[in-house]
Amino acid sequence: MLYRTAGQFKTSYHADHALFPVRQDAILLGFILLLAFVVVPLTASEFTFRALLIPVLIYALAALGLNILTGYAGQLSLGTGAFMGVGAYACYKLVTIFPEMNIVVAIALSGFFSAAVGVAFGLPSLRIKGFYLAIATLAAQFFLVWLFEKWAWLYNYSSSGAIQVHNIDMFGITVAGPNATAVTQYYFVLCFVAVITWFAINITRGRIGRIWKSVRDMDIAAELVGINLMKAKLSAFAVSSYIVGISGALFVFLWRGAAEPVLFDIPLSFRVLFIAIIGGLGSILGNYLGAILIVALPVIISALPSALGIPIASATVEHLNTMIVGALIIVFLIVEPHGLARFWAIIREKLIMWPFPH
Amino acid sequence: MKNLKTKLLAALLLGTALAPAAWAQDAINLTNLSYRTGPFAATGTPLMNGQRDYILMLNERDGGVNGVKLNYDECETGYNTEKGAECYEKTKATSIVTQPWSTGITLQVLPKSNVDKIPILAPGYGFSPMTDGKIFQWAFNPPASYWDGASMIIKAISDGNPDNLKGKKIALLHLDAPYGKEPIPLLQAYAEKHGFTLLPIPVGVKEMQNQSAQWLQIRRERPDFVLMWGWGAMNAGAVAEAVKTKFPMDKFVGIWWSGHDGDMKTAGEAAKGYRSISWSLPDSNAKVMQDIKTHVVDKGNSLIGEGEFDWVFYQRGVLISMFAVEGIKAAQAHFDTKVVNAEQLRWGLENLKIDEAKLAEIGMTGMVGTFSTACNNHAGHAGGWMMQWDGAKFVKVSDRLEADQAMIAPLVEAEAKKYAEANAPWPTNEECKM
Repeated sequence: MLYRTAGQFKTSYHADHALFPVRQDAILLGFILLLAFVVVPLTASEFTFRALLIPVLIYALAALGLNILTGYAGQLSLGTGAFMGVGAYACYKLVTIFPEMNIVVAIALSGFFSAAVGVAFGLPSLRIKGFYLAIATLAAQFFLVWLFEKWAWLYNYSSSGAIQVHNIDMFGITVAGPNATAVTQYYFVLCFVAVITWFAINITRGRIGRIWKSVRDMDIAAELVGINLMKAKLSAFAVSSYIVGISGALFVFLWRGAAEPVLFDIPLSFRVLFIAIIGGLGSILGNYLGAILIVALPVIISALPSALGIPIASATVEHLNTMIVGALIIVFLIVEPHGLARFWAIIREKLIMWPFPH
Repeated sequence: MKNLKTKLLAALLLGTALAPAAWAQDAINLTNLSYRTGPFAATGTPLMNGQRDYILMLNERDGGVNGVKLNYDECETGYNTEKGAECYEKTKATSIVTQPWSTGITLQVLPKSNVDKIPILAPGYGFSPMTDGKIFQWAFNPPASYWDGASMIIKAISDGNPDNLKGKKIALLHLDAPYGKEPIPLLQAYAEKHGFTLLPIPVGVKEMQNQSAQWLQIRRERPDFVLMWGWGAMNAGAVAEAVKTKFPMDKFVGIWWSGHDGDMKTAGEAAKGYRSISWSLPDSNAKVMQDIKTHVVDKGNSLIGEGEFDWVFYQRGVLISMFAVEGIKAAQAHFDTKVVNAEQLRWGLENLKIDEAKLAEIGMTGMVGTFSTACNNHAGHAGGWMMQWDGAKFVKVSDRLEADQAMIAPLVEAEAKKYAEANAPWPTNEECKM
């Protein structure tokens, strides 16, 4: 009833190819955007911004980048954390070498560095597949983190080996660094993420996305129908690493404020991979759902006892947290192995038919 | 983009649910960013227990500080910087002090302290240039910085004259993290001035428990001394490898965080002779420890395990809480108020006077060196003692050692200035004329 699509006729190809052919989807999206851009900034506390909203957006963006490579083009990668690091260090060097550069430009440019590195480490994908390729990207992971530690030029020879974000202004408003307010940073990240998500939806449903999917489903068949595998795989690596690099730059500049090389080590790669897998490979929505489960849920659980006034030691909560989130991951994967996005798709289908199933 | 959907629903629910819990006005909140979980839990737990028990004892014995109750609370980080930053956001509204408990988290919250106006108390850890209180107005690392520790170790292994090290080779086995890299600039300055070779050997966080490669290198290079900046599982791993490769234990010296009873217990007799510098001395018979025993431990309110009461780290935790409490007392007296806020505590920590009379008054005689902080000196430079493992426990084997400030001060000034310039505009304390 709520989701009834009857009566929504498409009278032109243009209407049929709209981003949201079902009216309810567009309304839902409008509602969510209203919530994100107006309601949340008016109501959320600083803790909610910094510990929940901003990290969820940034992790979702990183997972989106990985999803383009793994979910759409079928190339398994374990180097996401390192590619995020490339973006972050590139952005750091850009803003320290060119202090006049607008931060948006710096972040957008830093994605190209990680795209270049991603393509370089994507070259083995032309010859190897599956788990073997995962090992090759693992090499990127280890090599790049080693490079972040050893190449002192990257962190401007600071004695701690960490990079620090200083105050960066844009049009008179501080957007990064210790003086930036949480709301500004939230809007900044939200705009970036919204634009890239729009771009990703369109690229994945268009010609390039179909090429990627055909390579994923059967690369030999794709080659036989005339798809250039090299172009397809390397473009997937480039686009994916570009998005991952931007998420890395946002990760350090708009959220963490400081970073040490070990931050970009393999646990980060796995975390992003889990978000992509649990959210649903080959979907855009799934990255957000996965990020909520993996990033936001532990924060919520750890804040619950004190908010409800239950006296539990902080360490015990942390143990409980690990157990609950771990159990939930297993439950979700058993109930719906294709991820949370598929879960939502099933719910939506049921809603469309409700209350008169065939 | 229907994708943004659920996130925002959750956010809306949370925005209302997670408003900071209200707290009683007549109490002072001291939240600790603890780590009783994760790879460093073994070393973190006794420290947290010590901090907790001292506060509980004060509440029990004196009803708090000058009649104001102290709320000790913990926010678990697992030594993870991401969780640490989250805890900082969660606690900054209520706690009057941030105790970050990791060099990584310290670096993360350091720039924010100027904006949020909450003092950072990082006793014996954190970023060594924090000593410069003019630049790092909100950060405190009493009673000694890592550079103080490095300087004291150099003094101890050279019998008081660093020139004795001429032509020797000193290896620095360190955790490959900001913490482990801290002493390198100072040790390099020493190496250049006194003509010895410094050989830093990093140990990655992943390879802490298997250091065979590093110790192979040590065996090949035959250094005259091995200094260690280790933490958590790395300490026990290094001692085990040293025993295995038959490295002479009296040539092996650790920083204060590498002097943990629990780490040495596994090696036991074999690690006899290992030394560690310490700014604290355990004394289970001191009045304060006896008070903790009667008011907290015997009543079953403590979380400590068997034998933990005598550990160096447990008693160091007690001292760390003491610094915070003394800061509160100083602020209470100066501002003539009961419930001090974060800004008043900053003044208190900047005007700590831990002299013999004070130590006697609080029942801690001999447990820590005397020191005082000032607006240009946030470390206090209390000095420390060499402790040696006798197979069962750590015993004091040296007189009080003082760091060589002539070596450290120029480096502190240069590094603090570098930090401020890299993070410009960085507010400095112009009122401080010292």
